[in-house]
Formats: sequence, structure tokens, C-alpha cells
Amino acid sequence: MSPPRRERRKADPALSDPERLYVITGAPDGERAALDLVTMVVAQAEPSPMVQPEQAAILRLCKAPLSVAEISAYLSLPFSVVTSLLTELLATELVESRAPVVRASLPDRSLLEAVMHGLQKL
Amino acid sequence: MVRVESPPTKRDIPVVRAALLPVVLMAGATAAGAVPVTGATRAAVVWCGAFATVVVATLTVVLNRRRRAMHVQRAAYEQRIAYLEHRIASYDQETERLSKELLPAAIRRLRASNSPQEVMRDVVDADASYRNLPKAQRALVLQVLDIIDNEEAMRDSAQRAFVSVARRVQAIVHRQASELREMEDHHGRNPDVFDDLLRIDHGTALIGRLADSIAVLGGARPSRQWPKAVPLFSVLRGAMSRILEYQRVDLHSIAKVAIVGTAVEPLIHACAELLDNATRYSPPQTRVHVTAVEVQTGIAIEIEDGGVSLSEEARVRAENMLAQAQAGINMNDLGESPRLGMAVVGRLARMYQLQVSLRQSAYGGVRAVLIVPRDMITTGPAPGIAHGIGATSRPQSSLDMSQMQHVVPPRGKHKARPAATGPVPSLASSAPTPAPAPAASATRPAAPAAAMGDDEIVVTEWTEGGLPQRRSRGRAPLGSHNLPQQSAPATEPAARNGHNGQGGGGSAPPGLWLEAFTQAVNGVPKEPKHDTDSDDVWDKGDEK
Repeated sequence: MSPPRRERRKADPALSDPERLYVITGAPDGERAALDLVTMVVAQAEPSPMVQPEQAAILRLCKAPLSVAEISAYLSLPFSVVTSLLTELLATELVESRAPVVRASLPDRSLLEAVMHGLQKL
Repeated sequence: MVRVESPPTKRDIPVVRAALLPVVLMAGATAAGAVPVTGATRAAVVWCGAFATVVVATLTVVLNRRRRAMHVQRAAYEQRIAYLEHRIASYDQETERLSKELLPAAIRRLRASNSPQEVMRDVVDADASYRNLPKAQRALVLQVLDIIDNEEAMRDSAQRAFVSVARRVQAIVHRQASELREMEDHHGRNPDVFDDLLRIDHGTALIGRLADSIAVLGGARPSRQWPKAVPLFSVLRGAMSRILEYQRVDLHSIAKVAIVGTAVEPLIHACAELLDNATRYSPPQTRVHVTAVEVQTGIAIEIEDGGVSLSEEARVRAENMLAQAQAGINMNDLGESPRLGMAVVGRLARMYQLQVSLRQSAYGGVRAVLIVPRDMITTGPAPGIAHGIGATSRPQSSLDMSQMQHVVPPRGKHKARPAATGPVPSLASSAPTPAPAPAASATRPAAPAAAMGDDEIVVTEWTEGGLPQRRSRGRAPLGSHNLPQQSAPATEPAARNGHNGQGGGGSAPPGLWLEAFTQAVNGVPKEPKHDTDSDDVWDKGDEK
């Protein structure tokens, strides 16, 4: 479960923001919806002025389906923050989430190459 | 007596004249007594009368002299008394002048970090009216100055000690906070650890605020510097993150302005103290409402709580405390169990020309109004945006926001791209019809009031192929990457596709990122489908 050990990114003090993450997350002990890094999220509504800016940002981002991991990366917010934001959005039905579908495996590379070569020979 | 005799010539005549009447009378009486009697008796009477006359004459003269002497003396005394009274009055005046003009002036100079000797030279000796100050008064002034100088030095050193301790605590807290932020990023995928980290983070922020308060009361400026303007919304949330019960604070309609960097930290701190007061002195189930509206003089931040109403007396006391703090209190005045909040706010208000007032709230509680002067406000695009902690941290570039807009995928625009471009977004289409670019951008949802500058958030890095790249762990600042490289992916695909409809590099990239992304996700190029709605999107996802 634990992610591979990697170098922690150094926070540049000049680039940080005054607000801390718990203000964005809300209660630290809030329930979290079962969301995965690769859960796709799509917005169901336009962002209204009532939602938090981060949630508005998610709604804007997720007009097209986007994975939780990507939302997290775009917003530069840790995964847990994004999930608790999404949990609220899911509760108010502003977004919809769907677990990724296991896709059929791609055509074999050698097959594709064979086709390509065949086409080139034409 | 010498003085009495000094004008002898004129004085003798009145003496003789004064002595004349008793002598004549006495002589008359003697004569009258001598008339009836005869012989030896008359001789005796005459002798007695003559003797008495002489005695009376002598007495009269002596008495007269003495009386004159007394007159002269009294005049002299009166003169002297008048002189002394005048002296006393002038002393009073001088003392008053000393206490009301000289000493305050001298102390003012002393406070401006002059030594007592310098002050004596500049204030006393430089002024003609003080130059002839009696020695004793000079000594007095000098001594008073010396004592004040001493006390000030002691108080200064005590305050400096306070401030330096507070600074050390602040340094530790800042380091802790940034490390916690790293840890939060690091453990972001483990909710249990993450929540614990948030709790520690919160505690650290509270410690930091206390250290800030001590530093401010010690007369120091807030240590933290913000190099760039910060949106007011972020500032208020920064204030929220420094109080215990931040969850009870609601931010409503916050004006979309940014606070200039130098004023950010004091404003955060002042707001945090006011919010802390509001949450602390209101029942735990009530909410605290914060609004920020533009007014003539700047921005009025109103903090209303639903607590017990401030009685007139308490309000006066609190305002007094504010006023006192604005006049500059020292730590000794805070008392045994100091209520730092108002003192800190007052101090900050004085240092940064903020206006604070406490009024009765419509909710029945207290309404604190903090007016931020206009010169602390910048309405230009704030480099940060309220929501994304990291996403805000794009270094300020010379490009303005309108140039940044095109990085955001406008919904309509990428629809307008021709189908011939081969790989096409399969997941991305939810707006049904292709729209001309201007109209499309108009259909984009306006940013909600609370989301300040959210539009920038999609900004991300771009690979050569126009593929959006997740930011590296090395925390490359977003803007620094995408801005220079922006034009390359923008123009390249357009050239490749022989498509000119998008009018220059400025509007080229919309949609491309999404296309490239879905391409990467799907692995298979798919034919475009313009009329898919969101359900179709999901269906399509299922197909794959």
C-alpha cells in the first residue's frame, strides 16, 4: 500500500499559500467516498457560486471525465484532500464517479507492425 | 536706621513740626498751672512743667523718628514681598513650562534615540528661553532624562528578548509547517495518516499565531513575508487556518481583490485574531460569518458572530483596549491573564493603518469591521488562486492573464476543430454543437464569485506532442514550464494539420491537450464524435 519512497518535493516558501490544507478539506475526520486514484470523475453541473473554489475548479476540470489522480495533480492538492472534496461533491450530486473499466488489451504490437509493413508494401 | 537718616535735611522739619504741638501744649499747661499758684510753689510747678515739656518733646521726637523708620521699613518689606511673590510666580511658571514643554520635548527627542546629553544640548541649550535655566533645574531635567533613558533601555531589551524568542518559535513553526506540507503531499494517499497530519498541522498553526502575537506585542513587524499579492479569499482562509474552530467560519461573498504582499501577513494575523475572538465568545453551535465588500476607502471585512451581544460597557472596554494598543502599549499593561487579541489587532491596526471597530451584530452578537486601506489592495490578477495550494504557486510571469486564458481548454473551441485531425477527443465532448470561437468562449461559465481566478488552474506542463504532463515531484513551478513552451505545442499541431482556422498561436491549443490525453489514455486513436453528451462519454468508456 505504501507508495514507493521518493524524494519529497521541497516546498518553496515563496511559493506557498497562506491557507493550510485542513481549511480546504473541512473536518479532518470526515467520511471519504470510496475513490481510487484512477476513478474517473465527471461533472454533472456548472460550478455555482456556492461551492468552494477548489470544488468549482474540480467541476470545471471535470467537464470531461478525469481521473482523481489527475485532478490531484492539476490542483496540486494531495489525494486525500481531493477525495474529501469529491466526497462533498458526490453527496450533493454535482459530480459522478465511475471506476475505470478494464479495457480489452490493445492489439499486439507485432500485429500492428505487420499491418503497417503490409500497407507500406502496397 | 541708617536708611532712615539718609535724607536728613527734609526729614528734620516735619520732626520739629510734629514735636511743636505737644511741646507748645505742655508749655501752655505749665504756664496755666503756674498762674494760680505763687511763690516757691510756682517755681516748683514751672520746673516740673519745664521738665515735663522737655520729656514730652523728647518723646515726641523719638516716637516720630521711630514711626518714620517703620514706614520706611514697611515700604522696603512690601517691595521685597512683591519681589518674592514675583519670583515665586515665575518659578511656578517655569516649573510648569518645564513639565509641560521642556520635558515632553526632551522625552520626545530621547525616544528618537538620542542620548540624554544630546537632548540637553539640542533642547535646552539650543533654546534661548531655556539657556538660563537654573542649575538645579538643569540637573533635574538631566536626571529625569537619565532615568527615562535607563528605563527605556531596560524595557527595550525586555521586548527585544520577547521578540527574539518569538522569532525563534516562528522559525521552528514555519519549518514545521513546510515539512508538514511535504508530509501531507507524501502521505496524501493514506487518509489515516493524512488526517493525523492535518491535526498536527492545525496545532502548529495555532502555536505560530501565538508566537506572531508575542512578536507583534513586542513591537516587531510580522516576520513572514509574502513576495506576491495574495487574493483576499486566500488571506481570509489563511486567517481561518490559524484559529482553533475554523470549521465554524463561513466565508460569504468575498470581494475579488488581492492584497499586496507586504500587507498579507498583518492582515492574516489581524483577521485571525478577530475570528478567534468571534469563535471563542460565541456558542459552539453558532457560525461566524465573514464578508468582504468594497467600500470607498478600501475593503471592509466584516466578521459577525452569533454570540452574546457585547454590552455597551464591554464594547467600550474592548474599544479602549484597541485604542490603547493603537497608542502603543507595552507588555506590562496586559495584566495577569492577558487577552492578547484586541491588543494585537490594535497594534497591527496602528502599524498598517487598518481601521477596526466593534459593533452590535444583526445576529445579536458582535460585528467586527476591519477596513483595509486601498493602497493595500491590488485588483490586478493575483498570481495565486484561491483554491489550489500548489497550483497557485506559479511564479509571476510577464504574461498577463488574458494570455494565460488560452491554456485553459475552452469548451466550445475545441469543438470547432475539424474532424480531420485524426486522433480526436473521445471523452471530451459534452457540448453538442460546434460554435464559433467567440460565442463559445462566451458560453463558458463565468467564474463564480468565490472562485478567484480559477481559470488558470488547468495550466499544466506540456510535452513536445502537446501532451499534458503531470507535474514532476520536483515541484517545478507550473508557469515556468508551460509559459515558454506554450507556443510550441500551440502552433505545431495546427501546422501539422494544415489547419489555420484558429487564428494564431494564441488560440491554437484549446482541446489539444485533452485530445492528446485521451489518446494516451485510450492508446487507440478514435474517430471524432461531436455530439456525444456525457452519457455517451461513459458508454464509450465502457466500450473500450
